[in-house]
Amino acid sequence: MLEIKTIKEEKYSILQLEGEVDASNSVELDSSIQQLLEAGETGILVDASSLEYISSAGLGVFMSYLEDFHEKNIKMVIFGLKEKVYQVFVILGLDKLMNIKNTKEEALEEI
Amino acid sequence: MIKIPNPNIGKVSLLVAILTWLALLFVDITRIFGIVNQMESGVMPEVSFILEIIFFITVYIFYNYNISRNEDNDFLNLIWRGASTGLVASGVSIFIGLFYTMLGDSKLASDILLKNFFYHVTFALITLFLISCSLLWKHLILYQRTKNIVKQWQLFEILLMVSMFFIFFNKNSLDYSFLFGLVIITIFSISLSINLKWIPYLTFKEKWKSILFLVIILFSVTYLFGQVLTYSESDLIIVNLTDNLFLIGLFTFVFFYTLFSFLVTLFNLPTSSVFEQKLIEAINFQRLSQSIKPGQNENQVLDILIDSSMSAAYADAGWLEVKDQEDQTIFLHERFIEKDTTFQLYRHINAMKPFSNFDWDKSGNENKVFQGKIDLAPYKSALVIPLVINQNTMGRLYLVKEVKDGFNKEMINIISTFVGQACISVENYRLLNEAIKNERYKEELKIAQRVQRSLLPKELHRDESFDIAAFSVAADEVGGDYYETYPIGPRKFAVIIGDVSGKGTSAAFNMSQMKGIFHSLVQLSPSPSEFIKKANVALGLCLEKNHFITSSFYIIDTELKTVTYSRAGHCPTLYFSHSTQECEYLSIDGMGLGILRNSMFDKYVHEKTFNFEAGDAMLLFTDGVIEAKNEAGTEFGYERLKMVLKSNCNLSPSQIHEKIIEEVYNFIGKNVVIDDDYSMVVIKFQ
Repeated sequence: MLEIKTIKEEKYSILQLEGEVDASNSVELDSSIQQLLEAGETGILVDASSLEYISSAGLGVFMSYLEDFHEKNIKMVIFGLKEKVYQVFVILGLDKLMNIKNTKEEALEEI
Repeated sequence: MIKIPNPNIGKVSLLVAILTWLALLFVDITRIFGIVNQMESGVMPEVSFILEIIFFITVYIFYNYNISRNEDNDFLNLIWRGASTGLVASGVSIFIGLFYTMLGDSKLASDILLKNFFYHVTFALITLFLISCSLLWKHLILYQRTKNIVKQWQLFEILLMVSMFFIFFNKNSLDYSFLFGLVIITIFSISLSINLKWIPYLTFKEKWKSILFLVIILFSVTYLFGQVLTYSESDLIIVNLTDNLFLIGLFTFVFFYTLFSFLVTLFNLPTSSVFEQKLIEAINFQRLSQSIKPGQNENQVLDILIDSSMSAAYADAGWLEVKDQEDQTIFLHERFIEKDTTFQLYRHINAMKPFSNFDWDKSGNENKVFQGKIDLAPYKSALVIPLVINQNTMGRLYLVKEVKDGFNKEMINIISTFVGQACISVENYRLLNEAIKNERYKEELKIAQRVQRSLLPKELHRDESFDIAAFSVAADEVGGDYYETYPIGPRKFAVIIGDVSGKGTSAAFNMSQMKGIFHSLVQLSPSPSEFIKKANVALGLCLEKNHFITSSFYIIDTELKTVTYSRAGHCPTLYFSHSTQECEYLSIDGMGLGILRNSMFDKYVHEKTFNFEAGDAMLLFTDGVIEAKNEAGTEFGYERLKMVLKSNCNLSPSQIHEKIIEEVYNFIGKNVVIDDDYSMVVIKFQ
């Protein structure tokens, strides 16, 4: 099960992920990010503190936007990752390409 | 050899019958001649009797053959055949009567031989008529036969057969035994005459026709019977052929059955339309349940539904309101009504009670019927029944009539049944279509599965320095795990394990790309880091944007006893060292293939080399093993895997992998299914 909440702040948006991202619902994550892009958002904070699991398909969604974000100068920061989920990012090497922070405050500094 | 021609029973029996009749005529005339001239002709009356019986039997055989040959005779046709034979017989008889009236008192009128000749002709015609009629009636009596009716008929036939021979016994006299026989036959005839099940199946028009034909037969029977009586009273008839129990018995039978048929048909006329209506309803019901076959559409059922319902209710107009894919309601199959009027009526009806109580989203609509008064000229009453499929209300059937309270309970019952059946038909049709689609999809998946299975190697390369075992299980029909070995030198082996992101068919296709890249690059004997870099370039060109592949690549050199490896985002390999008796994950940085599709990727690729010793073990696996969860949601995890390998390090590779699977299943419990692909390659150095 995955629940996605988009919270619009003044200068950025928060994408709150709750539950598990797997092959069946990675499309939802993709469309949420797509919506933020279309809305012209330049700062995206991903709150992953309630994210229990992310499968390769879910990681694929983040990965597919890396280039786009780079080109359009959009900042995306993930924060609050649980250790187990963080390890998945590390093993894949995504921690090198993505901005991952421990807390929201740290994440906000990046934007 | 003499060829015996195939005897045609019809023709043969007809020929024999004619010959018998001629013989009978000749014999009788000889007898009469003898009696008149008071000479002993030497011909016993028994000869006449025998010829008579033969005549009866051959005529019977002829008609029996003739009627049963045309099996498709409908009732009306059968009755017509009886009537036409009756007309011919009576016609000839009347003609003879007229002939004698014309003769007046002339000498010829009292000529015995001539009179007897005509008598024989009349006798033959009566016999033909009665036997053909009886056989036709037999068909009618045995319509929708039961065992009892068949038995009764057979008994009646035996009785008639016996009555033919009765003539030897009473010599043409009307004594008490004759009367006794006649009474028995009459009782039998009457009890057979109640078998009139064919009558309801005639349409109104057919009933009128059959009444006409039955009247003709009744007239013929009565007239001919009267003729027979006058003949037997005549002094000029010396050889009596007609005071025969068989013939008189047939008279009674044909008369009673015809009379009963006539009366019952007559009284059935007023209710005929009801029966016809019921029959049509039954047929419509059947059409509704059989109407949709794969490839046809639901529209056909709805078409039959509106027609059947309209005819069952004698409705003056009707239409269907059906929800389309976008949940918009549309009108379909308007009958006897203009589009504008439909809209007007639709608004009018839905504004009135009880029709306004209808709610699309309410459950339980399938048992609801809305009927009531409306007032939009010329319509005065309306009936609305919801069409419910799989608990979803998908439309409504509207019927309107120009009379008040036009829909009675019986109509509503039958229409509700029609609606129910139509809904079942549509539902079945939808289910069937879905099943066909799923079946096709499954079939395609099976092909993909076969292809994918064939991509995994059946044999793994090795030499005496190490033993190797591998296995893979797919969660879906097709998986995305991949492993393979390749000998790149006499004592050098490449080993790869990979996991394609995502699941199912697309994962399997990407896996086959990976296999192709492995086989191409491995020919160049690349170092592990070279392999990873080149594979990333190659995959970057063909993988979809959001797909990537994790992989680990190893080169085992059994001459130098070294292992060189690179990791591309894949789960780190577990290594058991014999000398330290410890298990460690081979930690090395690396990034999944296809994540970064430019030269920047290269700086994330690393390579390490270490020496192996005999007794060391290496476990390559995919994340399905680590991420297997028990009912509490806890993952099997890296630590547990470490423990399992450590405690089983002395076993052979295939035993180690069995042990790991066993432990994983012990951990997750029997009721849990691993919902990811998982694969393992176990290498044991010797």
